[in-house]
Amino acid sequence: METTTVTPGRPTTIALDCMGSDHGPAEAVDAAARLSIERPDFHLILIGDSHVIGALLDAREYEPARLSVRHTDQWVAMDESPRDALNSKPSASVLIACQLVSEGRADAVVTAGNTGAAILAAARKLGRIPGVRRAALAAVTPTEQTHGPNEDPFALLLDVGATLNATGRDLVTFAIMGAAYARAISNNPRPSVALLSNGTEPHKGPPEVVQAHAILAGLHDVNFAGNVEGLDIPRGSVDVVVTNGFMGNVVLKMLEGIGEVISELAKDAYASKFLWRFGLTMLSGGLQQIQQALDWEQYGGAPILGFTQPIIKAHGRSKSKAIANACKVAVKAARSDMTRVIERAVSHVPSAEEDGVQGL
Amino acid sequence: MSWRHVYRWDLDKTYLKTDFESVRRLVGIAFERPEEKRNVPGSAALLRELGREREGLDPSRVCIVSGSPRQMRGTLEKKLALDGVRFHEFDLKPQWENLRRGRFRAVREQVGYKLPLLLRSRLKTEDVRGVPETLFGDDAEVDAFIYSLYADVLAGRVNTDRLVTVLKAVGAYDDAIGKSVAAAEELEPDDAVERIFIMLDRRTPPSFFGPFGPRVVPIFNYFQAALVLFSGGHLSAEGVVLVTRSFLEAEGHTADDLANLFQDVVRRGHLPATAMQDLGMAIQDQNGAQAEAEVIWKSVQRFSDLGPARRFMPPAPPPDGDYEALLAHLRSRHP
Repeated sequence: METTTVTPGRPTTIALDCMGSDHGPAEAVDAAARLSIERPDFHLILIGDSHVIGALLDAREYEPARLSVRHTDQWVAMDESPRDALNSKPSASVLIACQLVSEGRADAVVTAGNTGAAILAAARKLGRIPGVRRAALAAVTPTEQTHGPNEDPFALLLDVGATLNATGRDLVTFAIMGAAYARAISNNPRPSVALLSNGTEPHKGPPEVVQAHAILAGLHDVNFAGNVEGLDIPRGSVDVVVTNGFMGNVVLKMLEGIGEVISELAKDAYASKFLWRFGLTMLSGGLQQIQQALDWEQYGGAPILGFTQPIIKAHGRSKSKAIANACKVAVKAARSDMTRVIERAVSHVPSAEEDGVQGL
Repeated sequence: MSWRHVYRWDLDKTYLKTDFESVRRLVGIAFERPEEKRNVPGSAALLRELGREREGLDPSRVCIVSGSPRQMRGTLEKKLALDGVRFHEFDLKPQWENLRRGRFRAVREQVGYKLPLLLRSRLKTEDVRGVPETLFGDDAEVDAFIYSLYADVLAGRVNTDRLVTVLKAVGAYDDAIGKSVAAAEELEPDDAVERIFIMLDRRTPPSFFGPFGPRVVPIFNYFQAALVLFSGGHLSAEGVVLVTRSFLEAEGHTADDLANLFQDVVRRGHLPATAMQDLGMAIQDQNGAQAEAEVIWKSVQRFSDLGPARRFMPPAPPPDGDYEALLAHLRSRHP
């Protein structure tokens, strides 16, 4: 499939799927309205029920020159089977979003809806980058160490849910895509990449991890740091951590849960005793920094890597702030030609026949 | 003399890009020369086009009612002359007299100032009975309220008792109430006001104006107003091109921006989607490939690419004006 770049003279345009998230279209419309005023450098196409979107939009401050609405009365709910839903709903909002990008009318997709449907819609309408067998959902996780020239306080973790059972070769592709993404989006010229395992030794872990390790160790284009363990994720020992979708999703949700629990515990402690309240007040500056670092809403969604055009998956329970940040990431991905960077990186990976490692 | 249409305009924030949010700016405005005053993009081109003589048609009447002080008449008249705008009436607020007489409430209050002027203008103009009107204001003050009240008084939908109650509620002085009532009683009912355009200078959400009924058309710029006026037969395709040129020169929009602006005004129910096809065809029929006409044509095409947004709903009859409720609504934003 031919990839399109941002057309000169046409503003970068984001196809925003407003339907199917936990909070309905209100949060997406709110994000779009604010962005239309704050960010004159890009446009948004709001996809969904135009009666609902229109009513929400009209009750907000917005800049109409930078917004348009694409009507559809079909969308995929969170509890629907992605394949069945997309088969029975050819005008589902996420399909239209991907269609607009594939036709060159928009440059990136943002959705907070059903993850499976987003991946399937992207596979049907955008197509995979040659050499990529399975897509990967990449999420940023807050870390102790900073990363890259921007000193970002987070690392990239992928896959966090797109491909539950990844082969060794899939993990290799994920590593290459993750590194390319970090280069394009975080301006990190040579990001370090590691496989998540139960030990740092090359032979530790399930067969696909051991096999991926063997291939990555032989790739000079990848700054491969070997295996890392779970505790290395929050420490931020490497810039990109690679695992399969099942493990990645468990890790990600656990990190989110820890952040929320810490916040709740602090609130309880504040309410319990005067002395604790005093102590927490004294520590409030530092606690705020921790809370900010753990706030997933500020990281702007997870890119689904492996498709010919950028698609950003915002959390299902995203509020306006998170969706707005996801749109900003999408703009950055479109402008940095992120998918081309990935395509070039993946094209340098030797085939299974060339590297002699079969059956992954 | 007979008229084809009456256009009534406010000046500050409707025609002129006036920033009187700070005392410093307010003082600055008083000393601005005519050539230093800035237009709201497209306003001069639109007003020129609306006032332009059209072959075989009666002339249109342009009336300006502004809250600017009378001392600025010379500067403002020169500014309008520089813009090539001709007018038939030009009323400014007697601010100095208000201060001298200690009528401090009247310095800020606009309903008691503008309503009697509007009604008396209608009363004193010959051959204006049955002539439709289009009014232009903004969201910085209470123009939607004043113009709607004027329209309903003119149409005989607001009786004298109710008018007095409303004017007292807004804090109008007794003489302003008296003038308004006298004019209202003398006027024959005439449902003349077709549309009230409200320029969203402060980005007030459009739905805020919903309670005023579909007669009030909130617009983000004069490109949108030009589209609605083209659809209503007030403006030629060439007129739309001229307004668009002025708008583009000031703000530098792309065809995509214009397509979005098209869609916005269609989506909000103020324009049928077919108006875009009509405009596209009219522009194609024009001779000479003006850059603005090409941009409009491209945006018409992009507009159809955007797909259906919402069906156009023709204007419903104005609501039975509950002006006390409208006033409470207005005060939620303009305390």
